[in-house]
Amino acid sequence: MSSIRVRGVRKSFGDLEVLRGVDLDIDPGEVLCVVGPSGSGKSTLLRCINLLVMPDEGEVYLDSVALTDPRIRPEWVRQQIGMVFQSFNLFTHLTVKRNVMLALRHAKKVDRATAEKTAIYQLTRVGLADKLDAYPAQLSGGQQQRVAIARALAMDPKAMLFDEPTSALDPESIHEVLAVMGRLAQEGMTMAVVTHEMGFAKEVADRVVFFDGGRVLEEGSPEEIFDRAGHERTQAFMKKILR
Amino acid sequence: MVYGAAGTIGGILFLLELGYLHVYRLPFALSQVNPLLSGFYLTLEVVVTILTFGFGLGFLIGWARTTRFIFLRGLGSIYVDFFRSMPPIALIFFASLIGAIELKGSNINPYEVHNITLWLGVVALALHTAAYQAEIVRAGILSVPTGQTEAADAVGISRFRSMFVVVLPQAFRLSLPALGNEFSSSIKDTSLLSVIGWLELSGIAFVQTSLAFKTYLYGSLVIWIMSGFLYFVVTYIVTRTVRGVEDLYKVPGLEVAR
Repeated sequence: MSSIRVRGVRKSFGDLEVLRGVDLDIDPGEVLCVVGPSGSGKSTLLRCINLLVMPDEGEVYLDSVALTDPRIRPEWVRQQIGMVFQSFNLFTHLTVKRNVMLALRHAKKVDRATAEKTAIYQLTRVGLADKLDAYPAQLSGGQQQRVAIARALAMDPKAMLFDEPTSALDPESIHEVLAVMGRLAQEGMTMAVVTHEMGFAKEVADRVVFFDGGRVLEEGSPEEIFDRAGHERTQAFMKKILR
Repeated sequence: MVYGAAGTIGGILFLLELGYLHVYRLPFALSQVNPLLSGFYLTLEVVVTILTFGFGLGFLIGWARTTRFIFLRGLGSIYVDFFRSMPPIALIFFASLIGAIELKGSNINPYEVHNITLWLGVVALALHTAAYQAEIVRAGILSVPTGQTEAADAVGISRFRSMFVVVLPQAFRLSLPALGNEFSSSIKDTSLLSVIGWLELSGIAFVQTSLAFKTYLYGSLVIWIMSGFLYFVVTYIVTRTVRGVEDLYKVPGLEVAR
């Protein structure tokens, strides 16, 4: 697994400065949870890591490779770093199996038989071997999100980004998705997870970052951030969500 | 089913009414079948040409209007603005007259020149429907949620490729009902080709009417009822085909009532 380093990343959309110089390290095999109020730039930060959003300033490194180097193709970067979205974003016109196969066929240019084998393997790992030929619209939210995870894993990524993966799910589905993510963490995947699931953060995260106003306000172990936050802003936020 | 039955009963009552008025004479109607059928085949030929050509061009222009290349977008929007604001009849005249003027005095034989001017009218109609279809295709592409392209980006598929494997298949499915509508409307526009001398269904109907009216007062009514029915047949074939394609592209779990 690989490390991710973010150095001085800034990003503005028009007049709105969303990221104001972010520094962040994720070690190989580490699980980092990013928490913080909505609109604080958490999603944009994740998107800057796999270049879905191009940073205005600063660098992002995967191991020793500067991803922000203009000579590097964004397509290559995104094949190295998997991403899971809040709203799943499965390809609605394709079956579950073909959702997972698509990037293997059209980005990695793997032959059909190998792609199919990989897809079946990854879908079995997330417990959906019986849904290969179903369409996304026929699945529950939790099942769709697990397909999305399998789709990202099929590319054999060096790290995974999760952008509020359980925010659109019912409690039962949340559990099944978090279980898959927990197993992935155990296997040693490098992960950055934007989440409001404090239970998951406490149990699985190695480190928690509190993000506010476009920068990292505070970071530490889950206990440090949740129970003994140093910053007033962090304390206020934790009080609200932990109730 | 219910509508079909009601329509059939209505049609029979209407024909009985005409019979009562002595409008309807079977031998006369039968004598019109062959000429009208020859027009019908020509109409089919023209329709197939216009739909194929119009869809191909409309697709390309619609796509051009959604790219990030300002030049392509501008070109597409000028095209659509122009061809949507011209009445099709003006376009037909314009195209065939330009052709006639340009070919005047050339060494192509007159029969060929006439033929070319006729087909230029068909080209004009195809350009006209292409403008409408371009807008349908554009709307289809824009109605594919951005999350779909974002997901394709996130797994490392190039933008160009994701257009073909992610966006267009979904856009096509979403566009089909509107395309069927535009197809059926451009079928009826082919009747305008009679003004430049096409002997397709309407052209034949005009000729037969002028032949009949001296001997039989209501002849033109019978002829137009018959050709109306034949237009219905063409439209029905085309719209049913589109519906068949809709079924082909149906996504389980995403069915829409109709």
